[in-house]
Amino acid sequence: MPAFYLIVITLGAFYLGYRFYSKYLAERVYALDPNFKTPANELADGVDFVPTNKHILLGHHFTAVAGAAPIVGPAIAVYWGWLPAIAWVILGTVFGAGVHDFGAIVTSARNRGQNIGTLSGKVISARASTLFLLIIFFLLTLVNAVFGVVMAILFEAHPGSVIPAVIVIPIAMCIGQWVYRMRGAVLIPSIIGLVLLYAAIPLGQAYPIHVDGLAEMLGLSVRTTWVILIFAYTWVASRLPVWLLLQPRDYINGQQLLVALVVIFAGVVVGWDTITAPAVNEVAEGTKHWFPYLFITIACGAISGFHSLVASGTTSKQIANETDARYIGYGGAMGEGALALAAILACTAGLGSAADWQTAYANFGAASGGALGNFVTGVGHFLSNLGIEASLGASFAVVVVVTFAGTTMDTGVRLQRYILEEIAELAGFKALVGKTSLLTTLAVLIPLALALVPGGEGDGGKGFAFGQLWTLFGTTNQLTAGLALSVIAVWVLARDRNPLAAIVPLTFLLVMTSWALVLNLLDFLAQGSWMLLIMDAGIFVLTAWLILEAATALNRQRRSA
Amino acid sequence: MAKASWRDYLPQDGRAAHRLILVREQDAQHSGSGCCGRLGEAHTDLGGAADYRHSRRLMEDVGVIYREARAAFPQLVVEVVDPRNTVWLYPAVWQDARAANRSARACFASLRKAGAAVAVILDGEVLFSGRLPGTQRVIETIRARLAAP
Repeated sequence: MPAFYLIVITLGAFYLGYRFYSKYLAERVYALDPNFKTPANELADGVDFVPTNKHILLGHHFTAVAGAAPIVGPAIAVYWGWLPAIAWVILGTVFGAGVHDFGAIVTSARNRGQNIGTLSGKVISARASTLFLLIIFFLLTLVNAVFGVVMAILFEAHPGSVIPAVIVIPIAMCIGQWVYRMRGAVLIPSIIGLVLLYAAIPLGQAYPIHVDGLAEMLGLSVRTTWVILIFAYTWVASRLPVWLLLQPRDYINGQQLLVALVVIFAGVVVGWDTITAPAVNEVAEGTKHWFPYLFITIACGAISGFHSLVASGTTSKQIANETDARYIGYGGAMGEGALALAAILACTAGLGSAADWQTAYANFGAASGGALGNFVTGVGHFLSNLGIEASLGASFAVVVVVTFAGTTMDTGVRLQRYILEEIAELAGFKALVGKTSLLTTLAVLIPLALALVPGGEGDGGKGFAFGQLWTLFGTTNQLTAGLALSVIAVWVLARDRNPLAAIVPLTFLLVMTSWALVLNLLDFLAQGSWMLLIMDAGIFVLTAWLILEAATALNRQRRSA
Repeated sequence: MAKASWRDYLPQDGRAAHRLILVREQDAQHSGSGCCGRLGEAHTDLGGAADYRHSRRLMEDVGVIYREARAAFPQLVVEVVDPRNTVWLYPAVWQDARAANRSARACFASLRKAGAAVAVILDGEVLFSGRLPGTQRVIETIRARLAAP
């Protein structure tokens, strides 16, 4: 089947979802009122509360929610074939992410723009705030671990991309100096930055960076060496002022996201590639089956709990009219779904023949360990359709993923530092409070230990449990979404509306998450992977806790209604 | 009914419409923060607000201008936008500048200066970029521009 048809089918389904289901949500479930005075109007201060036109707000919201995760998950999940992956992206976006993101904006706007952590404490129970904190702790640990490995995999497989990926750092720092110190305008510097970045791609090809010598000296594998170097970089980056590196990198990332989306879809259309992956891949008995693993492998791109932080953090304080929440929340979710679609296309139509695809996705270990490599190969192929050499195109894709992953790790380690400090305060470990270097070291060492956990069935003997880590990350992300959906469901019920639209995805996610966690638990026990076992057990406890809290809150609300 | 575009926010009584765009960064991480992080931002549970103090100060400075401008010029459409929202900002500045019959050269000059940590743009003309003078001077400059034929 031509890959273009998949674009038409997916975008067509998104259109129908927006046209009909989001309308149903707007009218029947969230009961949007165009006359409701939103916090942006009621509290308008021009600082946090600013009535903002919906097109501006969609731009803010979409660029904030989109990242590397909707690329990685689908790139792994096509292991089960393109049909389950795209079906979950479509159904998840239309009936999950759309409900979640849209609902988080409305619920927050109806509660004076309070964020989802505060709302969970208020709407569900006081304990839910602690639950939220713990879920975020696990999520960040796993985020940092998986993105550390993602970058290491890419650097090992594409040494030609190291120079352009690293050159982003001085470019961003120069932009930071220019914008924040010299107060200059950013258009020309960011264009120059982007040109320099792309000019560094052929330079990187000419001078690939290998760390084999260092790895040999340290007695480590190449990938382990890269993982350690990346975490060392993250330790330093997370100690720098945000204006120096993290903030200016946003200017580059924003442009990269748009360029990547445009070239992938243009490449598919121009090349008229066909999908060579099977619709449903018959996997061997005893290996991970798509049911339930698909639903936690693709989190971002189908439904992501972290979106509720953006939706209830900034977006809800700026919607000018409550009815705009549909366009921004549901529309933003569809944008993320489009990113997942791009990843599916790259990994199902960009890898060559059906035999090439079968080699790349021989088993789950190979599929997860090689997912990003397959994505960049696919993007390289699409760019070759546009007349750009495939290896340069692949380097371009590596740079896109690495800049997003690097930003995520920088943020994740900083956040983990704050959360560790908060947990230390709550637990009475005064020795940790205020010790930034020590806290940063802990925030780096915990995910680093996870990233280096051996394992990874059939991962070409590379010895990393990346696939397992990714599925654990997916479960925690779905738990965050579960918490937000619980808040939304209770709030909808309190308004005497039918909460099924939120309860169905909530129940589905919690069942799939629990199921996958139990299967993983048994696997880890059998393999003797104690570190992963502890993580899995911890997340399972949080899941059980969330189920109890959500059921109690819904029951309480139903009785009072 | 939802408004269809920014033009629907403009006065509908036939007066010449003017639009003021206030550019300033939100005190939060922007790209990739939904997958997976959300650093900065006052009123958040996660932390990082102190890291973004410099952006917060600019937000508050622009907030004063926003309130003063809305009070002084009720006919003015005032939009606040983050400079990282390039997809909206640059086309809007270009559109406003062309609508005000500015030359192509002036339009490009506006584009060049529009995206900054902070900027004040009236009808596609960048009045201040990078640094802001006192609020009163900004308001007086806007008043003078609006009064000009």
